[in-house]
Order: sequence, then structure tokens, then C-alpha cells
Amino acid sequence: LSYFCLFHSGAYCKMLLHAAKYPHCAVNGLLVAEKQKEKKKDSHSTPILCVDCIPLFHGTLALAPMLEVALTLIDTWCKENKYVIAGYYQANERTKDFRPNQFAEKVGARIAENFSEAAMIMVDSTRFTMGCYEPILTIYDHHENKWKCRDCNADCFEDWCEAQKITSALLEGRSYESLIDFDNHLDDLRNDWTNPEINKSVLHLC
Amino acid sequence: SVCKFISYSVGVHKMRDKLRKWREDNHRNSEQIVDVGEELINEHASKLGDDIWIIYEQVMIAALDCSRDDLAWTCLQELKRQFPGSQRVKRLAGMRLEALEKYEDASKQYDSILQDDPTNTAARKRKISILKAQGKSAEAIRELNEYLEQFVGDQEAWHELSELYINEHDYGKAAFCLEELMMTNPHNHLYCEQYAEVKYTQGGLENLELSRKYFAQALKLNNRNMRALFGLYMSASHIAACPKVNATVKKANVKYAAWATNQINRAYQLAGRGTKENKCSVKAVEEMLESMQITMS
Repeated sequence: LSYFCLFHSGAYCKMLLHAAKYPHCAVNGLLVAEKQKEKKKDSHSTPILCVDCIPLFHGTLALAPMLEVALTLIDTWCKENKYVIAGYYQANERTKDFRPNQFAEKVGARIAENFSEAAMIMVDSTRFTMGCYEPILTIYDHHENKWKCRDCNADCFEDWCEAQKITSALLEGRSYESLIDFDNHLDDLRNDWTNPEINKSVLHLC
Repeated sequence: SVCKFISYSVGVHKMRDKLRKWREDNHRNSEQIVDVGEELINEHASKLGDDIWIIYEQVMIAALDCSRDDLAWTCLQELKRQFPGSQRVKRLAGMRLEALEKYEDASKQYDSILQDDPTNTAARKRKISILKAQGKSAEAIRELNEYLEQFVGDQEAWHELSELYINEHDYGKAAFCLEELMMTNPHNHLYCEQYAEVKYTQGGLENLELSRKYFAQALKLNNRNMRALFGLYMSASHIAACPKVNATVKKANVKYAAWATNQINRAYQLAGRGTKENKCSVKAVEEMLESMQITMS
């Protein structure tokens, strides 16, 4: 049985907008999926749809307290919205550094404790373009306490053409300037990490 | 007409003030700096007086951030013409080489500055940045430690070093750097709060108690620091839930956590006033705090 996670356009674009907003920093965040109603024992693996992305931090990532706050708070929010935290993404500070580090593996493992099909996603900034010609993610699945790399191509998306069109449009329009991550929220509680304005923009472009 | 001239000038003043504020705050909003700065330089250079030189420098650095080598080159040429032989301009030329990933050439540029002026701290720090850019963290840390032996008062350097250590998960050494910063800046709530975060991350009961004390200290210095407030809540909650603590310590920490809970809820309610969308945050926070209290008792 292999896991398979599909990205909704909104989830993909918010990851890239986060990386674009802070090109000189490492960034990270969470992916959430809709909670599956029942697990059918005899079914082939049902793809997990990552419906949304919650950008977390930028800059120095490897500190525990605010990450714990974010994980607990977002977990509570997920329960209210019938979501589950399904993945973790990270873009490293150095463009050429697209491999997961110890910190990414730790957070990924923590999420996998609550959701066995959790994915760890690294953003490859070397292939980051305004036109979004190809998906720039590398996906890692948790197998027997190790992270195994899986290629990310158009098949990993609910609708790659739509994801490409929306992400490219929002990058061109500099929507990343108004993207809110959890760090921004801690700086001013009025900043909404669910990013309702960007969600609206995504819906408009769908 | 006179009116047109006045509104023109006001526009230029506003743009110039924006750039100055961003300079003073050390904002790295490079795209905006390029937007505003490029227009000022191209259309209103004559109205800027002597400010133009510092603006050229600011715009050049922002242009490097945005891969606008054309604009960076223009700024650099103007500065070279006005200040021939300047070390400061030489450093900017070095930064351009760094942006083009010509690290060896950049390093040579900085070495030539240091030959003329061995105490040039800017050049030394650029050399360390090159090591960082190349992923040579261990070397960067070593060089930065050597630099700090000589320039022990350089706060920016101490902070940079603390970040390098955090990225290497060497929290003990990161704490040491932040201790230096707290000593020389006892009223800076950010250093207190960052120190508390490092201690918390190190883990263990002793470190948790230290972290709680420093989160509390940060709050004393700035009662609106949300990270410090959340940190106080988290550290006190963990201490109270720890089986090793005696009843007195547990009771005290339950009190701290309860106080923090109150303050957090208040802060969220204040922030959520009037906005329907923020109510989800308020609710989520309330529930989160409630659920954590259950695990504490």
C-alpha cells in the first residue's frame, strides 16, 4: 500500500507565496487534509487531498516553543473544521539546499505520530519561476522510521493546470506581500493565518 | 503651474522619507525599495541633494536582492564616480560579486580592503557571509568566534552567531551568545524572549524553569510580547505537569499558567473585536488552552 497525496491548488500556491515573501529566509508550514470518514479495509489507497496550507515561520526555524503553540492551536482549529494535519513543508535558507534537515525530519515524525500517512515536503527553490512551469516540490513519505523520497509531478495535483495558473497569477500580482504566516500572527494577533483574502483570490481564479 | 510643482515635490519628499524609514528600521523589503528608489533615482535625482548617495547605496543592495543587476550596476557606477577609492564602495562592489555567486572574486575584494585597513569590520563580516552562503557553517562559526574575540561589543555579530548555533542545534552555545546580548542590553525584551525559547528547546526541568523566568522577564519589559506570553504559558504548564516537581512548585506554576491563560484570552478578544473572521482564532485559542489545562491536572 503506498500513500498518495494530492495537492489542491490553494495549498500549493500558498506554499510558494510563503517562500516568495521571504526569499532570504528559511520558511516552513503545515498542510491540512480533510478528515477521512471511514477507513475501508479492502480499498486501494485513497489519495489524501491536501486542501489547505498554513504558513508557520520564517527565519530561525529550529526553536520549540512557538512551534508547539502553532501545532496545538492549528490542531484544535483542524478538529473544528474536520481537517487533520497531514504534512509539513520547508524551504531552506540557501537556495541550493533542498534536502530535508534534522529539524524537518523531527517535525515530520511528530506529525506522523498523529497521522500515519503524513508527508514531508521540501521546496526546491532552484526551480522556482514566476511561470511555475513545473511542480517544485519533493515529497517524502514515512516508511519504517525512515523518510523515502517520492517524485512530485502533475499527477500529485488535483488539477496541475489550475494550480499552475493560479500560483503564477498570484506571484505576478505580488499577493505574497499580504500572505500571513504564524510569525506575522504572533507579531499582531489581528493578522489571520488562515489567509481568507488569498483564499478568496484563489477561488476567483479557479 | 505652481500647484503642480508643489504636489510633485510632496511626492518626492514622501518617497524619500519612506526610504529613510526603511533604512533606519533595517527593513529588507527589497522589492518595494527598488520600486520607490528606482523612480526617485531616474526621475527626481536633482531634488534629492546629498541624500542621493545613501539612496544609491540602499537601492543597490535592494537591487542585488531582486536580481536587478542592471540597476545595481548603475548605482555602483554613480558611487564609484563620486567616491573614488572608497572602502565603503569597494565593499558594495564585493557584495555585487557575491550576488553573482563569484565568491572567490568577492573574497579577493574584501581581502584588498583588509590589506589597507585590517580593522575594517564590514569586510570581515562579508567574508563570513560568503562562508554562510556556501553552506560552510562550521567555518562561519569559527571565523565569527574569532571576530568576536577582537570585536566583543558587536551586537549584530553576537546575534548572527546565536542564529548559526541554533541552526546547528547547538542550543547551549546559542544561549551563551544571547546571555552576552542580554548583559549589554538588559531592557531588550526580544533578547530575553529568544533566550527563553532556546532554554525551552534545550529541555529538562532546570531549563524549563529558566525559560519560564525569562519569558516572564520579557513580559515585564514588554507586556505585549505575545511570544513571551505564550512561552510563559507553555513552560509553566509543562513544569506543572512534570511528575518530578513537588506540590509547591506545581501549585505556583499552575497559577502562572492560569494567569497567562487569562492574558492570552484577553489579547485575542481585543484583537478579534469587530472581525467575524478572527473569531475562529479566539475560539481555537480558548479550546487549546482548556484542553492543555486538562493534561496539567
